[in-house]
Amino acid sequence: MAFAIQFLIDVLSLGGAYALMALGLVIIYGILRLVNFAYGELIMVAGYTMFLTSGSGLPWLLMAVLAVAMAVVFGILTDYVAFRPVRAKSVTAVLITSFAFSNLLQNAALLFISPRPRNVPLPDIFSQTVSIGGAITPVRNLITIAASIVLLAAVAFLMRKTTLGIAMRAAATNFTMARMLGVPANLIISSAFALSGFLAGVVGLLWIGRIGTVVPGVGLEPLLVAFIATVIGGMRSLPGAVVGGFLLALIDTTLNYTLSQDLLKFRDAFTFSLVILILLWRPEGLIKGPASGQRT
Amino acid sequence: MLDVCDLSVSYGTIRAVRGISFTVGKGELVSLLGANGAGKSSTIKAIAGALKTSGGAVTLEGKDITSANPEQVIRAGLATVPETRDVFPDLTVAENLMLGAYIHRRDHAGNRENLDRLHTLFPRLAERASQAAGTLSGGEQQMLVIARALMARPSVLLLDEPSLGLAPAIVERIFEMIETLKKSGLTILLVEQNVNQALAVADRAYVMRLGAIVASGTADGIRSTSDLSAHYLGG
Amino acid sequence: MKQSYITALILIAVIAVIAVGSQMIGIRLYDRIATNLLISLVLVVGLQTFMGNSGLLSFAHIGFMGLGAYTSAVLTIPAQMKGMALPDLYEFMKVVEISPMLAMLAAGVVAALVAAVVAYPLMRLSDAAAVITSFALLVVLYTVMNNWSALTNGPRTLFGLPKTTEMPIAAIVAAIVVVVALAFKESRTGKLLRASREDEVAAAALGANIPHLRWRAFILAAFIAGIGGALWGHFITSFAPKAFYLKETFLIITMLVIGGANTVTGAVAGTVLITVAYEGLRGTEAALNAGSSGSGQVIGLTEIVLALAMIAVMIVRPGGLFPNREIGHILTRSRRKKEKTA
Repeated sequence: MAFAIQFLIDVLSLGGAYALMALGLVIIYGILRLVNFAYGELIMVAGYTMFLTSGSGLPWLLMAVLAVAMAVVFGILTDYVAFRPVRAKSVTAVLITSFAFSNLLQNAALLFISPRPRNVPLPDIFSQTVSIGGAITPVRNLITIAASIVLLAAVAFLMRKTTLGIAMRAAATNFTMARMLGVPANLIISSAFALSGFLAGVVGLLWIGRIGTVVPGVGLEPLLVAFIATVIGGMRSLPGAVVGGFLLALIDTTLNYTLSQDLLKFRDAFTFSLVILILLWRPEGLIKGPASGQRT
Repeated sequence: MLDVCDLSVSYGTIRAVRGISFTVGKGELVSLLGANGAGKSSTIKAIAGALKTSGGAVTLEGKDITSANPEQVIRAGLATVPETRDVFPDLTVAENLMLGAYIHRRDHAGNRENLDRLHTLFPRLAERASQAAGTLSGGEQQMLVIARALMARPSVLLLDEPSLGLAPAIVERIFEMIETLKKSGLTILLVEQNVNQALAVADRAYVMRLGAIVASGTADGIRSTSDLSAHYLGG
Repeated sequence: MKQSYITALILIAVIAVIAVGSQMIGIRLYDRIATNLLISLVLVVGLQTFMGNSGLLSFAHIGFMGLGAYTSAVLTIPAQMKGMALPDLYEFMKVVEISPMLAMLAAGVVAALVAAVVAYPLMRLSDAAAVITSFALLVVLYTVMNNWSALTNGPRTLFGLPKTTEMPIAAIVAAIVVVVALAFKESRTGKLLRASREDEVAAAALGANIPHLRWRAFILAAFIAGIGGALWGHFITSFAPKAFYLKETFLIITMLVIGGANTVTGAVAGTVLITVAYEGLRGTEAALNAGSSGSGQVIGLTEIVLALAMIAVMIVRPGGLFPNREIGHILTRSRRKKEKTA
């Protein structure tokens, strides 16, 4: 019983984080057809903001808010630097600029901060454990589960009940038509990047909270996770991204419990081969996204 | 109301629209006729701001909208129903209509009133309000796009090939509805391949061929022009 | 066709000038930089054969370079050193020791074979699916290199490769690769591929099996990457899997994109330009580090400048320096124009 609870909490907390990562990536891809390689760096930005404000004596919660705000700012910056100037040109151009922007941010962290890990302040609660039905589990796993439930619900509300969210969903299927109804293209694009940054910021806090330190390359793993989850969940579907995140967490956790140490090293190779296979079988991902769609 | 003057549209080196001029007066229903490839849709897209013009001017109630983007065109009072019948398939009928009123999104009372009016005009849409638009039939989707355009309360409506690919009985209904809209005082530019139906409802018409206007006049006048079919068949 | 010969001659002349010039100066550092440049040239031109003709971005290229480097390493590390360099190597391979030249060819063949097997189904994909799979392929190749300790010594540095890559060899291989890339571009496969990029439907109507064409280009690119990997391995003589990952991928994509992915001339120009800029910036970094004794290292500056340059090029000139015409074409055209005006 304790094992089952342990397993469930592991899957849900990892899955919640994965789902948020995937959602942040898919929001940009779904609307703008942009695979944003600089997505992982938004998580990095949140981490370094925590590090840089750690000496300020601010309450932790305020630092966390600042960190998320910085991720949002850098999300919007991605739009202005890497997307907007080239969006009319070609898909490849946009991919290349986002890849370049990712490298730019990582190396800026290397240059201006340090290649070595930097400590991120965490509230005590992150390192405490509780016992649930005999399973000893870190409180931060429960925080991750709670945060992901709240955020997923908030995103669902935004996308279903607000005019902005409905307009974003409309733009995801037919950007030109949405504009012809008066929905400003720039508002939609900026909102998508801001929301992506917001999700990256929150997930950054949760993710970095697991290790307690931030390095320039911290965004790579979340980016890869988001890629896989997105592919599993169907490239352009928001609910699909969430499902993909939880499925990947289930796969990862199961492999962690079952594979021997020798094989575990190859886990990334396994999961990425799975991605390739899924894309071969269904180039649009497992779950079908919005029907049609063209680039702006 | 809507004045198009010497409008040109080019795709690279190919000139799809070669300096055409026409006007649509207030409360008028003007039809733009022509075979496939005559440049009608390019004209519509250019007016709607979805395509860059390469020359000429478009004015709406005296306002220059030649180089306006689609968002600005609808705000100026011109709503477009594209020929591709672009409903947002994953959104419900109600959400589609709600987005139609995007530019009036703060005016809840006005929108409700407008929606009620449209629901009496298109009772089908009221019945299917919570259904995904992609599950509607072709005719219903056409009604939805027209209703959605009207949610913006435009002063001019551009209808691009509303009868395209629909069954005759439904085409009949669509044209009845266009007639109703015209009677309500709406200014309409109707692009059609279906000459007889279009001329039956239009006040005036222009005939396009190879990117230029080759004939114009009252609906009756155009109808009696003997070489009309030549323009079509000659495409 | 004649223009392609002129292009080949000019590009080979550039290679020769780099090779001979760096020797004549006689500074060891320049010799190293120039050899490095020529090896990069092999890799970038290799990537051009795929990207330039198919129009698809590939992130996996460096992975195939890694395959080549490790293949050649396993085949050439002297038997008596293998016990130390690759302690877990399979018994039957411990005695293998072939000439580096042969090993280089084998490296290309192994990379091409792996590419042929894994890439065949992938070539159907386009857009985001193609990019993500090529990225996934890089991660898979990296993970395998990082963990297949028997063959690669795992994440640890593998040492003991004979140093056989000298300037002349690098120059000759680079020249051959340039000729191959130009020939491929003018071949039926290359022409159809480029046509398919403009208009998939029309090319398919001409009887082009696009995934198959892409597959051929991908195999050729992997073959060249494998050769490049071996060349580099025998130049650097010790390396670890992390040499074949994102940083290097970024570098060769920068070179190709800034020069112009559609032309071999662009690949060569980009490699030369970025290598010079890279070395200049690295020199600046080193000077700054020497100056600011101890108070934090300056690292990453080079990459920041390159990333900014790349974004700027994509905004101002998305096709790169040589967006669609090879140098031979440009020269003959301008001469003809002069003749006409004269």
